[in-house]
Amino acid sequence: MVRADVDLVADIGEVLLEEDAIQARVAELAAQISADYSGRQLTLVSVLKGSLPFMADLMRHITIPLRIDLMEVSSYGGTATESSGLVRILKDLSSSIDGSDVLLVEDIIDTGLTLNYLLRYLRGKNPASLRVCTLLDKPARRLVEIPVDYIGFTIPDQFVVGYGLDYGELYRNLRFVGVLRPEVYSS
Amino acid sequence: MSDGPLDDGSLVDYSRPPSFAHASEAELARILDFYEVRWDYEPHVFPILWNIDGVVLESFAPDFYLPDLDLYVELTTLKQSLVRKKNRKLRRLRELYPDIRIKLFYGRDFRQLMLKYGKVALIDELSGTPGQATGALREEAALRDEAPVQGASTLDDTGAARAAPVVTRGAELSAAAGERLDVPPPPRDTVRRRAAIAHPSTLGSRTATRREPPAGRRTIKGR
Repeated sequence: MVRADVDLVADIGEVLLEEDAIQARVAELAAQISADYSGRQLTLVSVLKGSLPFMADLMRHITIPLRIDLMEVSSYGGTATESSGLVRILKDLSSSIDGSDVLLVEDIIDTGLTLNYLLRYLRGKNPASLRVCTLLDKPARRLVEIPVDYIGFTIPDQFVVGYGLDYGELYRNLRFVGVLRPEVYSS
Repeated sequence: MSDGPLDDGSLVDYSRPPSFAHASEAELARILDFYEVRWDYEPHVFPILWNIDGVVLESFAPDFYLPDLDLYVELTTLKQSLVRKKNRKLRRLRELYPDIRIKLFYGRDFRQLMLKYGKVALIDELSGTPGQATGALREEAALRDEAPVQGASTLDDTGAARAAPVVTRGAELSAAAGERLDVPPPPRDTVRRRAAIAHPSTLGSRTATRREPPAGRRTIKGR
């Protein structure tokens, strides 16, 4: 249940990425992707829920024909996963990616654990190629080193929300990326 | 899971989960299990200081080894001001064993990780303390099952990373080249766990493999 008394903007201690900067960078990434995948069968796979705004903006800036698909995996600590203790695919691809050039679209990569799992899973579906595009890269916390082909911004090791990223399922609808005030989660 | 031989021929009791020295270690083990990343707990001891007779005076045993990533992980939940000694040991390790890949997770890193996973209560439990596992955490760790992990196919090499702006505090933007990274092979069999090791100084041959540095790289102390 969404709390109605939360002032989303007031909870942000620092705006890390303004909306204009995000949109400009997304357009740059889309132009690069359009050039790199020209003449190929591109499928964008978005990882719910955090990458949804990024995916929506990115795909509209890409100028070549493409297909999209959505996946969702359980996150560590999520209530839906406590029983199994193992990561699960909550929503699988709707269509086959066999022979397709797949670009996995992520909101943020930090430890790389989720991405590592997803890439292993998708590799098993025999795509022609499999690359990664992330809006935010937080390399300071990387455990699994994975090649990331398209990076929007490399950010410092701070807890960020907005533009799809959440804390307690809130703040996803902010149009910028900001650092959450520590008192928000410490309280 | 049955017992298995270590590098020195001794046996490890895989039927018992490790007794983690810190709550953060138990939590990281659960995270790795969740994402099907195999791990060993303190499997290797690296001597980093010897006396003139070749007797090891100081060793370093990283908390975790992730065999599929060929990566050691050391966790510390100490306050940043108290990690100097650990940083020094890490530097020595890297000097003596340059081929070793090791990642140090500071307390702040781990607290950010717990925040991401919504485990705010655990943040408070670990903040600025030695992070000793509570009774509940130890019990929880002991009750974890030894479920096998599904394997998966190998990742492809997917090309070079593109340049990405680097964001620092105050939203300064600057260009920085992206980094191309090697993809490790995925886990293929089950999670491996080793019996508990309390501290490098108490390690015995039963549970740990001692690694020797390259010839000529030893540091002699006590002359």
